[in-house]
Parts: sequence; structure tokens; C-alpha cells
Amino acid sequence: MPKVIANAKTQSLESIIESWKGKNGNLLGALEQAQQNDPQKYLSETTLREISRRLNVPLSQVYSVATFYSFFSLKPQGEHVIVVCRGTACHTRGSLVLLNEALARLGIKEFKEEEENSVTSSDSFATIRTVACFGQCALAPVIMVDGKVLSRMTVSKLVSLLEKLKKGGEV
Amino acid sequence: MENLIEITIDNQPVKVDPSENIVEACARIGVKIPTLCYLKGISKNASCGVCVVEVEGAKSLVRSCVQNPTPGMKIRTSSPRVLRARKTAIELLLANHPTDCLSCIRADSCELRTVANLLEVRADRFPGYKKYPLPDTTSEGIVRDDKKCILCGRCVAVCEETQGINAIAFTGRGARTRVATFMDRGLAQSACVQCGQCSVVCPTGAITEKDDSRDVFGALQDPKLYVVVQTAPAIRASLGEALGLPPGSLVTGQMVAALRRLGFAKVFDTQFAADLTIMEEGSELLERLSHGGTTPMITSCSPGWINFIEGFYPDLLGHVSTCKSPQQMFGAVAKTYYAQTAGIAPDKMRVVSIMPCTAKKYEARRKEMDSAWDWWRQKDQKLAGARSFFDVDWALTTRELARMIKLAGIEIGRLPEEDFDDPLGRSTGAATIFGTTGGVMEAALRTVYEIVEKKPLENIEFTQVRGFASIKSAEVVLGGSPVRVAVAHGLSNARILLDEIRAGKSPYQFIEIMSCPGGCVGGGGQPVLSSIEKKLARSQALYTEDQVLPIRKSHENPAIQTLYKEFLVEPLGHLSHELLHTSYKARAF
Repeated sequence: MPKVIANAKTQSLESIIESWKGKNGNLLGALEQAQQNDPQKYLSETTLREISRRLNVPLSQVYSVATFYSFFSLKPQGEHVIVVCRGTACHTRGSLVLLNEALARLGIKEFKEEEENSVTSSDSFATIRTVACFGQCALAPVIMVDGKVLSRMTVSKLVSLLEKLKKGGEV
Repeated sequence: MENLIEITIDNQPVKVDPSENIVEACARIGVKIPTLCYLKGISKNASCGVCVVEVEGAKSLVRSCVQNPTPGMKIRTSSPRVLRARKTAIELLLANHPTDCLSCIRADSCELRTVANLLEVRADRFPGYKKYPLPDTTSEGIVRDDKKCILCGRCVAVCEETQGINAIAFTGRGARTRVATFMDRGLAQSACVQCGQCSVVCPTGAITEKDDSRDVFGALQDPKLYVVVQTAPAIRASLGEALGLPPGSLVTGQMVAALRRLGFAKVFDTQFAADLTIMEEGSELLERLSHGGTTPMITSCSPGWINFIEGFYPDLLGHVSTCKSPQQMFGAVAKTYYAQTAGIAPDKMRVVSIMPCTAKKYEARRKEMDSAWDWWRQKDQKLAGARSFFDVDWALTTRELARMIKLAGIEIGRLPEEDFDDPLGRSTGAATIFGTTGGVMEAALRTVYEIVEKKPLENIEFTQVRGFASIKSAEVVLGGSPVRVAVAHGLSNARILLDEIRAGKSPYQFIEIMSCPGGCVGGGGQPVLSSIEKKLARSQALYTEDQVLPIRKSHENPAIQTLYKEFLVEPLGHLSHELLHTSYKARAF
């Protein structure tokens, strides 16, 4: 990251946390906004410590909440985030094929199929994550790309989407 | 009792207090409901599902730790449905629990094993699937082993609520839930103060003291070494309990005899150093009061408390007495004064301490705790030896000593009572009560009063600072002016007094703080399966011993008087500063 952006990030982190002070649900809110604002879309240790200090929430509890929700990432994420649902409905309608296709196209060789996992391609182009269920089973298989939920996904749709993203396009 | 309500427990009409949960209500009429996550006064998470009971009209089984009785409630505590559900709950917990019970340190005190056996779990019903990291052995005092953890949450509750430390919390979700520190770094790098309260409440072998007993056995077998032992005040009131005697059994003489049989060359008493602490700390208090020093002055005996203030209130470190704890004063005096007098090569001497505490293990390893080596080096480089040594080599908890005694086949109840060795085994009643909350304060007042007033104290028992109230306070008149004192035990209580100081609103001049609830009788190295009643019994045992001892004031201890005459010269003198005082620094985590 260029230095200027790094500085801008610290600045905004402070104001993000301050804006949540004293409000209900401040920990979740601050964590969410801090991650969204981060150039690498993740919660670094520095960010967690800053949230703990400013909201006066013990470090262990900040870590507890940040590790509870699969939305939060403690590792830097790629430019694009692709979330593949591995719930039962999506699985039966071929989500594993989608996952493997995406992994292959992004050159990710190691991906342990656990309930939830997250791997970023070596060029930081994209992060692939799996989740247990989106709750959109009727529209299976479902993936989420950069925050947008895409239903009834097929391999060909996925391939053209990835190509679009590579050319700098949006979802 | 005014507000009792009528309910039915197992077909028996009974009157119960609706402010207590069903577990307690049943206990009062002699029905024991098994529990794993629930621990009276510490936690009720309703997470283990072992305490379920059947309540007429309720859709599902009720977790009795989080449900209070209501009028007319009909409870069945051992119906087939209840027993089946309890058994399944245990079988599910055992799916991922290792079956190395034979070699587990908690083999004879594991609550999971006890309940599993009680509920007649006889086979591995469910397959395990979880993977665990290796045990966390980063801390000097405590070892955490995830694979034995049943996620009951007692440790998290005691760390957060009783102690206010929050070193650990639940992390992850679902099947991947674990108890962990911030960023999973291990206890040594966390907020943990090593008080060990988690190791007392843990129902299994997931959190234990770091076991140093093997090293001590090794030293005792080494003919080249001269191994002496010191015993903290609280041990005499809890060792018997750890060996199966009733809680509150006072086993001072038998403990000395057992330690001799284990092979210690000399059996000394940390209480000697407690009297010495009173001389130094009492003098420091008077010095601060008369020369406008920082007040309130706070005691420094409890290493968990020192870790706490270094981590959480470093701005207030100037309030802490510079006196080392009795354990460390003992080590420094034993390896200088005693080694010199008895003609023992200091580098061949080993000091073992028996402590009610896991944080003492860390304290003994603080790098500044090598005063004796420094002293010898200045005196005679050759005698000091080439390698530095600690003042205290190993600190063992009550639990470790109990295991050593059992291993050696010593039956403490059948031993004769023996006396401590001279001179470092001589002490007073003032030192005995160090082991319970308020004891250091009372001991200090007995001595400080007589130093200032130059006349005998009429009533030496300061009952206002006794008992288990969370914060106790009193006022004494010293030299015509009132001195206000306070006592706190448990670190959440300590916070209250510290916040007052930080805000500039503390009315006190002298404060005693002990890390653990109840003081050392409730220490993190004390027998597990504890309760407030057991801690009170241990505390009472110490007050009983104080009452029957011939000398009850630290400054009247003849061995202490000799130590000053022959060696230290005077309290707060040059040598005292070198050997008996220390400094503190902020701790980052």
C-alpha cells in the first residue's frame, strides 16, 4: 500500500471508533466499519487493539467477537472477495464445482475444505472464502462477490464474471 | 426466612428460597444435582446440560443452574428422561475428550470423570473429530491444554468477573469454539496475572499449575545440593485438606515432619520472612507517613496483584510498598545470612517454597530476584560461582506438595508433630494470619502501633479487617492522628480502591490487596473443588493458630531481632534495600 493511504486509514479508524462510542452494539459496529474501510478489508491486530483501547473493551473480548462472525477477516483479503456457500442445498446443486473452478482460475492450489476457510491468491487479486449457509437455499447455488449475492450460479457465469473482474470491471 | 415458597421436589413438598436456583434448593433438602459448568458464586453458563431436571408443564427439560423455583413447581430430579439426557450430555462431551485419565494430573479430582462415572457412562458412544493445538506452556505458573477443555466457561467467568482480568475468552464459533487469549498468543503474552483462579475452578485437567515437583525430587536426590524448604502461612491450613483431611484441618507439625521425610535438609517457615516483611513494610509506612511519601501505601506480598498493577494501573506503582514478598525475602536471607552462618556454598544451596499460589512461580523467576547472587559476587566472586542463581529456585503449590507426599507414601495423619528448624523457622501469630485476607494489615497494625505508641497494644485483634467482605476498612489512631486503612481481596475489588486513588479520592493511608478471593487461603495453588465454606474453614484455622502461639507480634520474634543485630542492622537500612526491597515496572500485553 502507498504510504498516503496507510495514513488515511489510521485517521479514519480513529474517527470510526469515536463515532461508535457510547452507542449500543458499538463493538460490532466499529469492527464492521473498520473492516470495510480498511484498504485490505481486514481487521489487523493494530485495528483490534485500537478498538479495544478506545471502546474500553478487553482485548480478549474484541478477539472473541472478531473470531465469532465469519464476516470478519483477521487476514488481509484480496481486491475482490468471493464467498462460496457450502451449505447442504448449494452443495447438492454443485457448489463444490464452483469452488474448484474459482480456485483453479485464481491459481490457488491449497484450500482445505473445512466448514469455513479463507485463502487469498498470491497476487492479492481475490480471496475465496467458504461459509456454511447464506440462508438463500431456494436460489442455490449461491455465491457472494464483493458483497453482492449472486444466485443460481453456473460455472460459465462464474468464468465470465472472473474475466470481467480481471479486466477491472465490477460485479 | 420470610419469603419461602412451596414446591415439590421428587414428590416431596418442601419450602424453598425462590432467590436461589433449583440446584441450591435441591441441595438444601439433600438432593445433589450433578453440575459441570455451574459453580456457586463463580459461574452459571447453562452450557454443559448436565444439571437438567424435569419440571411439570415445561416443554423441555430445565437447566436447574439457571432456573429458580416458582410457587407450586413440581420438579423431578432423577426420572429416566432426566438421567438419559444427562448421560447423553456427558457422552457428547466425552466424544472429543481424551481418554488418558490414567495419566492426567487431575485423575483423582476430575469433575468430568466423576460425573461420567456417576451417570454410568461406560462406552465411547460418539466419535471425536476435533483437532487441538498443543498445550500452552508459555506461562511460568499455569498450563492450558485445549484438548481437555469442555468449554464450561468457569475459567472465563472467574477471569472476567472475579478478577477483572479478561485474559481469556471464548473464540471462534460452533464446533471450533475454544477458550483463548487475544490473538491466540499464549498466556505469557496476555493480560494474565497468573493468579491461577482458573486452575482452581477448572473441572478437568485443562488448566493446571505448571508442575515443578519433578525438578524438586531431582534436587532432593542430588548429594551435592543442600535443599531447604519454606512453607507459606496458608499451607498449614490447606495441606491436610489436599490430603483428604477435613477442610480447615491445621497440620503445621505434621507438614514439617512430612517435609523432613521427603528429604529437605532444613524445614523453614515463610512466616519468618512474613515477620521480616512487617518490620520493613511497617517502617516504610511510618517513613511515608512522616516524610510526606506517596500514600496510600499498598502491600506487595501477592505476586498476582503485582502483575495486575504492573499491567493495568502502572501509573499507581509508586503506591506499592517496595518490600519484596515474604517468599522472596526468605530466599534472599536464606542464601546470604543463613548460608554464610551455616557455612553452605551459596551456589550449592537450593530454596524450595511451598506456596498457595501459581503466580509465585513467576515471581521466583523475575530476573531481578537474584539479590543473594549479587551480594555474594560483591563479597567473594569465587564463592558466588560463575553462574547466577535465583533467590528462590522452585515454588511449588499446595497441590504439588500434596502429590509429592502421596507419592512418597507418607500418611500425614499418622505423623508426629515436629518443629520448624531454627532460625528461619521461627515466627509469630502475626505471620500466621498473613495467609488470610486482612492478615497482613492486622499484623502490620500490631507492630506499627507499638513502634509509634511505645506501649503494648491492649487488644491485638483487629476484627474489622477480618472476614470475607469484599472491601474492609478501619481507622486506627497512631501518634495522635487517625490512620485509615482498607483491605481488598480479589482483583475486581482491588480495582475499586485503585480507581479511588486514581481519581484522587482515596481516604486511606494504607491498603492491603490480595489477588485471590479470601487471600492466600483461596489462592490459585490451593486444593481444587473449593468453596467459600472451605476457604472460611482454612481462614479460621489460621486465626486459631494465631491465638495459641506464644508470640503474636512480628517485632517480638527473637529470630528477627537477632537477624537485625547480626546482619541487617536496621529496617530500611542499606542491606535491607539490597536484599529485601525491589522495584516494579509497567507490563505491556
